Amino acid sequence: MKSINLIFASLFLSVVVISCKKEEKLNNQVKSDSVTSKKEVEQEFHKELYGIYSGDFNTKPTSSEYNNGIEEYKKISVKIKRITKDSIYGYSVVNGNQRPFRGILNENTMDFILDEPGNDKSDGRFQLKMKKDSLIGDWIAFNKTSVKSPEKIVKLTRKEFVYNPNFMLSKDTSEDSDYDNPVDWNDGKAKKNTYVNSDGETEVSELTFYRSASDNVFKINASKQKLTEKDLKNLRKLDLQIIRNTVFARHGYSFKKETYRQFFENADWYVPVSNNVDADLSPLEKENVALLARFEKYAEDHYDTFGR
Amino acid sequence: MLKITLDYVPASSNASFLMIKQTEVTSRAEYLPFFYVHVYSSIFALIAGFIAVFFDKNLKYLHRFFGRIYIVCTLLLSSLSGIYIGVFANGGWTAKVSFVVLGILWFYTTYKSYTEIRKRNIQQHQFWMWRSYALALSAITLRMWKVILVYLFHPNPMDVYQIIAWLGWVPNLLLVEYLIKKHKT
Repeated sequence: MKSINLIFASLFLSVVVISCKKEEKLNNQVKSDSVTSKKEVEQEFHKELYGIYSGDFNTKPTSSEYNNGIEEYKKISVKIKRITKDSIYGYSVVNGNQRPFRGILNENTMDFILDEPGNDKSDGRFQLKMKKDSLIGDWIAFNKTSVKSPEKIVKLTRKEFVYNPNFMLSKDTSEDSDYDNPVDWNDGKAKKNTYVNSDGETEVSELTFYRSASDNVFKINASKQKLTEKDLKNLRKLDLQIIRNTVFARHGYSFKKETYRQFFENADWYVPVSNNVDADLSPLEKENVALLARFEKYAEDHYDTFGR
Repeated sequence: MLKITLDYVPASSNASFLMIKQTEVTSRAEYLPFFYVHVYSSIFALIAGFIAVFFDKNLKYLHRFFGRIYIVCTLLLSSLSGIYIGVFANGGWTAKVSFVVLGILWFYTTYKSYTEIRKRNIQQHQFWMWRSYALALSAITLRMWKVILVYLFHPNPMDVYQIIAWLGWVPNLLLVEYLIKKHKT
């Protein structure tokens, strides 16, 4: 109660003092006394802008002088958490790398300038403009030699993140895909085939094999049903990995591993919002995740080796 | 094989294969003791059986000593515990039937061989013991087939398990019957 009183007192005082310059000294004194409690009630503006903006984070086509031809296509989410009179606070998350920012908002032009702290080599400045529900602009690294592509185009649209245990990966039925089921394009194994051609010469051809998942990844939901060993025994490692990580994807986990990102980034319900969602998991999900992890370990150690 | 056995030393309730057997481990108190009896006795049966089968004439003491170890390990420990864990095998009834039949046949052939030698019927003793050891070797052939099938076809783990459950011992038995037939003529 005491602190609340103090807050009211300080607010009251500041109102009084603004109109009465003579007492400015006193006001400053009170301000410094209640600096912690004052922070909590600091007036917030534009609460309607708070939320998650998610979209593309791609190499700027024009910035070839830095990026040596390397083009990166990534997904980024920006969360605006708080806007005060002079500052705007939030964080961005790219591939599991979550970085806070602080910046300014020009209310007339709706321009955002957001700076990351600068103590990480991949920190930089966002310059974004709000148009309706989208934030568009660019990002430039503070240290242009420390990252692969220091200039990025940022195109974000506003997304509502809501956890829903019913979200599942669905079969890719688009025409430009030859595969209905998720394929791990990130982890191929090269195999050499030796054969004798019609001229009697030996030729070697190299083929790369990729793991593909079964239909079980569309059916088994580790957020809703209690999984048993029987449910999982006939699944291969990739199925187990996808079923387990779908739980984390539902909670908005931003995956560090490309292997997992590739499966979820195309799902319309997937909004990466955090690099740690462990605390958000339900008890059922925690149990299932532990069981799935155990089966993944078994599949990893024993699937193709001499043993059971 | 020895390395596979050593995966289970010291005995633990979730080592290796037991990682995917926690349903049985936690709901059936007797599963773990039976499992460990099977794992620890079978390695001795395999080694003793190997020595007894391949040193049958020239070193009689060696043959008798290891032959007794094989009989005791197989009849009292390995085959019976094998039948028990076979009932709860992975891979559904296809695999369960295979492992239970394998266990019963292993017990029967070993017992037959034992009674034949008690009757000093060396030829029949030898044939029955060949059959018995061919079944014992399924421990190795089953795992060998698994590596081959997984390498070639990348099947799902339990699909391959149902196949190797039978492939592990039926060809062994057929081969040994062929050898016996050839030996007789």
